[in-house]
Amino acid sequence: MAINALQAALLGLFACLASLPGMGGTTIGNYTLGRPLVGGLFVGLILGDVQSGIIVGAAIQVVYIALVTPGGTVSADVRAVTYIGIPLSILAIHAQGLDPSSAAAASLAAALGAAVGTLGTVLFYGTATLNLVWQSIGWKAMETRDWNTIKRQIPLVDFVYPWISHVLFSFIPTFIICMAGSQMVQLMKDYMPMDGLAMKTLFTVGSLLPAVGIAILCKQVINKPLDWLTFAFGFTLAACLHLNLIACAVVAAFFALIKYQIEEAKVARPAISGGVGASDDEEEEDI
Amino acid sequence: MAETKKISTGARRKSFRNWAYGNLTCFSQAHMQTFGYLAAMLPIVDELYDKDEDKVSALETYTTFFNTEPQIGTMVVGLTAGLEEARANGEAIDDETINGIRAGLMGPLAGLGDSIIVGTFIPILLGIALGLSAGGSVLGPLFYIVAWNVLMYFGMKLAYDRGYELGGSAVQALVGPESQALRSAILMVGAMVIGAVAATWVSISTALVLPGVGPLENVLWSSSSTVTAEALNATGAVSLNVFGSGIFPKLLNFVFVYLCWWMMTKKKIGVIPVMLILVAVAFVGVLVGFFNPGLSY
Repeated sequence: MAINALQAALLGLFACLASLPGMGGTTIGNYTLGRPLVGGLFVGLILGDVQSGIIVGAAIQVVYIALVTPGGTVSADVRAVTYIGIPLSILAIHAQGLDPSSAAAASLAAALGAAVGTLGTVLFYGTATLNLVWQSIGWKAMETRDWNTIKRQIPLVDFVYPWISHVLFSFIPTFIICMAGSQMVQLMKDYMPMDGLAMKTLFTVGSLLPAVGIAILCKQVINKPLDWLTFAFGFTLAACLHLNLIACAVVAAFFALIKYQIEEAKVARPAISGGVGASDDEEEEDI
Repeated sequence: MAETKKISTGARRKSFRNWAYGNLTCFSQAHMQTFGYLAAMLPIVDELYDKDEDKVSALETYTTFFNTEPQIGTMVVGLTAGLEEARANGEAIDDETINGIRAGLMGPLAGLGDSIIVGTFIPILLGIALGLSAGGSVLGPLFYIVAWNVLMYFGMKLAYDRGYELGGSAVQALVGPESQALRSAILMVGAMVIGAVAATWVSISTALVLPGVGPLENVLWSSSSTVTAEALNATGAVSLNVFGSGIFPKLLNFVFVYLCWWMMTKKKIGVIPVMLILVAVAFVGVLVGFFNPGLSY
């Protein structure tokens, strides 16, 4: 199995759309086309093996299910994970004669996806840095204080020029790596035996990485030590009671409702006792 | 005074479209979403002011740095459209007021958006989609594509329109003292579901074999509580994972999430260095036999 030029070009185009920051926008690009599960469908369509695409996409998706990028801190690049990692994984699985739906294939895909995703952060910084050039065109337009120039340049800066960044940092890397895919996978197979230290480490890293994504989320919602108890409560629901995420969300919503009513009562109480003056003021105004 | 100015539906739609699509297209580490914001305010300012000089001055307000969770942040764009309309009608709203509101909202909204939309909502949708895509079925990806985009489109549209209608009063609703109860309740849902995500979608296990005890997988935690005791009796010794998973299932998941959080918040280590530390941990773990994926070609 090999990837031809047209297929590699299509993968490159999808990489441009699905990046963060990408030309497909945030909602449709990054959060739809950039999700490995969705990407698996499109990679599968491009390579003519939809089933393998989705199975591999799902395996990689598990690693990146909670991928957040707070304040532009990027731990993995979705264009690389999805449009380089999935095609290479499909090639590797075929090359090694693994059953795509086996656990071994899933681990291979997760580790390979994580490896290219981490290396792919270079592409993120490349894109974001080159965008500074287009933004400087925008700032120059603002400085002219000429409305026609501004009106023409701002949309160009925001919607058109960044395509150049993506040709350089999304299209070309994806195209080259996917074209070289079969050889790369063969090299990896020859020089990195599965029971060797390198591959074992790679696979172990693949299983540890989701902890980073979740820890990033914890930074947002855990502000005091006792919040870990709330976290542990949700953890226990899933780990011990085997509730799925929807069931956990329902239980969480119930407790949040109680929390809301308590907090609201706390806000309302000072208004009753200490708010006598305030209501007096109002009465005075009425008089 | 002249007749009251009102932003046309067309201009608002264009502004919404520019933001919904272009919020991050020209992202850089220095200005982040600033150009997306300028593109979104362009049609608004263009319609509200007659003189070119006024248009330029008004747009310059939005050259100030902006960055938040872009989808929930749609509300801020709608809100400033409302404020700009009020300003064009002669209300005393200066640049400082508008930028104070933008700066005051972008932090809290980023926290809410990242934990609720990205941390809770997306994992739930993806969790359902993963269940539907078993065996490589296209149903899973299709479900996610449709559900996510439809809900986000209407959610963002609602956020924009509500922001526009509420204007300044939206700020109080979102960051004022009254909102504290709502925000803490929402963050509570976030913490709980993220805990569930940690237990569901992370699987860290040890392959350590202690001499004379046997493989630890045999005495792993099981939901049928009898297994642990029986396995213990069979092997006749206490092994490391009994201490971990026997007391609490998937404890290693918890430990690693906590460790990463601790390194990032308490030790101020960046995300990439934390990942490199994990690579080192994995390497050492494999060397001493703590981790072993146990795979072969």
